Amino acid sequence: MLKKRNAKDWLLDGFIYLFMIALAVMTLTPFLNLLAKSVSEEWAVVSGKVTILPIGFQLETLKFVVTSSNFTSSLGISALVTVIGTVMAILLTAVTAYPLSKPQIPGVSFILILFVFTMLFSGGIIPNYLLIRELNLLNHLGSLILPGMISVFNLLVMKSYFEGLPEALEESAKIDGARTFTILFRIILPISSPVIATISLFYAVGYWNDFFSAMLYISDPALKTLQIYLKDIVINADLAALGMSPDDMMNLPGEGVRAAAVIASTVPILCVYPFLQKYFVKGVLIGSVKG
Amino acid sequence: MVRQIRQHWEMYLLLLPGILFMLLFKYTPMYGVLIAFQDFNIFSGIGGSPWVGLKQFEKLFHSPEFLQVLVNTLLISFYKIVLLFPLPILIALLLNEVRILWFKKTVQTIVYLPHFLSWVIITSLFVTILSPSGGMVNELIKMFGGSPIAFFTDNSVFRSLVVFTAGWKESGWNAIIFIAAISGIEQEQYEAAEIDGAGRIQRMLHITLPGILPTIVLMFILRIGNVLEAGTEQILTMYNPIVYATGDVIGTYVYRMGLGKLDYSFSTAVGLFNSVVGFLLVIFGNQMSKKLVKRSIW
Repeated sequence: MLKKRNAKDWLLDGFIYLFMIALAVMTLTPFLNLLAKSVSEEWAVVSGKVTILPIGFQLETLKFVVTSSNFTSSLGISALVTVIGTVMAILLTAVTAYPLSKPQIPGVSFILILFVFTMLFSGGIIPNYLLIRELNLLNHLGSLILPGMISVFNLLVMKSYFEGLPEALEESAKIDGARTFTILFRIILPISSPVIATISLFYAVGYWNDFFSAMLYISDPALKTLQIYLKDIVINADLAALGMSPDDMMNLPGEGVRAAAVIASTVPILCVYPFLQKYFVKGVLIGSVKG
Repeated sequence: MVRQIRQHWEMYLLLLPGILFMLLFKYTPMYGVLIAFQDFNIFSGIGGSPWVGLKQFEKLFHSPEFLQVLVNTLLISFYKIVLLFPLPILIALLLNEVRILWFKKTVQTIVYLPHFLSWVIITSLFVTILSPSGGMVNELIKMFGGSPIAFFTDNSVFRSLVVFTAGWKESGWNAIIFIAAISGIEQEQYEAAEIDGAGRIQRMLHITLPGILPTIVLMFILRIGNVLEAGTEQILTMYNPIVYATGDVIGTYVYRMGLGKLDYSFSTAVGLFNSVVGFLLVIFGNQMSKKLVKRSIW
């Protein structure tokens, strides 16, 4: 039943659409500005004339950035950490979540409490640092991968997914004589691909965006992750420029180069963004209902 | 008991790596907080360092520097809660009124994006557009006759910058939970209200808003429980010595004291204070939520 729209409705709609457009424009502007800067002619960038549209067009700056050894090396490190970390984390989370989804097994609920407690209380930055140091993992990629291998939030999401699977599946397999490992790897995991996809993305984004661990544990320039590279080249360079003479500033990466570095570092996330959006929304909702 | 274990040995075997992992990476650092009660020396370890009781905590509560850090943390958190908590609710309410599907989807796709980018990228974006030399925003300010603002190195605007960028990054994404709550409201309620002649704004205020109130209360309580986390990773990417006076928060202070000045015991004490207060707040908040809206996180 469509009622006639009155003036008030028009006004409300006008406000809502304007609000949403403002929101979208505010979100996009910084990206457009940096994109424009990274493809504009250098004189335009230096003179501060570039807003959201490029002035002139060149791809040399972007090419310079993505072929520089600093960028490719840190991109490689980040990719390596993300891939290895995600695979190991999803495996560990799955084999841990499966027994935890069986509260009738003695001891399981106690272990679950131990896990949940770590969400509420942690040793803090320094004890974690000292542990990594003790394990000889400083300046080792293990320091970026190992501590993040179980996120309790992800564990709970996976556990509640397993709990929702029909009992009969396992029962019939057991009658056929299948053992626990076979049931987990041949029956449970294959039908859990939606939750595995979601949680893999959670882990992958976590590893990819992790900046704090790298800042704490890595000082070897050869092991710089993309996040650290970006902090050095963009944020630190900007601050360093404040107290510098013009001569020294010549040695810093130019504005176009910095903008190009940001854009080049954003592209990998943009490429997987359609999947991220789809699965993350699902994962967040499962987590918020059951977590 | 033995029979039980024998019967389920495969399950226990599956659980083993996870348990070892948890003990090593979560509970060992909890044991490590003991150094907050020592004058820890990295070469003697926990076993060999002298115990000093509550000395580090006395130092902590008598330190004007820590007091400033605590004030900064609470202020930034307070601004974030007051200004940024209602924003996702507003976005969800308004987005719910958008009837043009492609428009709604497009807006959602755009405003969710910053959530997936790291703080380093977000800060890099803002460092660039807010730069006092040639940044887009300052060029605009100059165009209108103002003088450029050094957003990242000005104590009078740094906290606002922290709050604004946090809102810019997460407000759209945080609306998701409220959008989901809205979709759970029964359609009949709207139809009944429409027959009673209620306008759209009235329906928004008297059906949608009360419908998601339990979710709002729960999220608010969770948020309060997190009040000491003013955004460590965010501020770590954004701040610099010039704005320590307004921007140094507990998390960044622990980092500076511990890894910058190598004062392990003192910084662990600060961290422990943070963990204990945070823990109590979450427990308290959960009880509150049980009482108020009959919902809790456990």
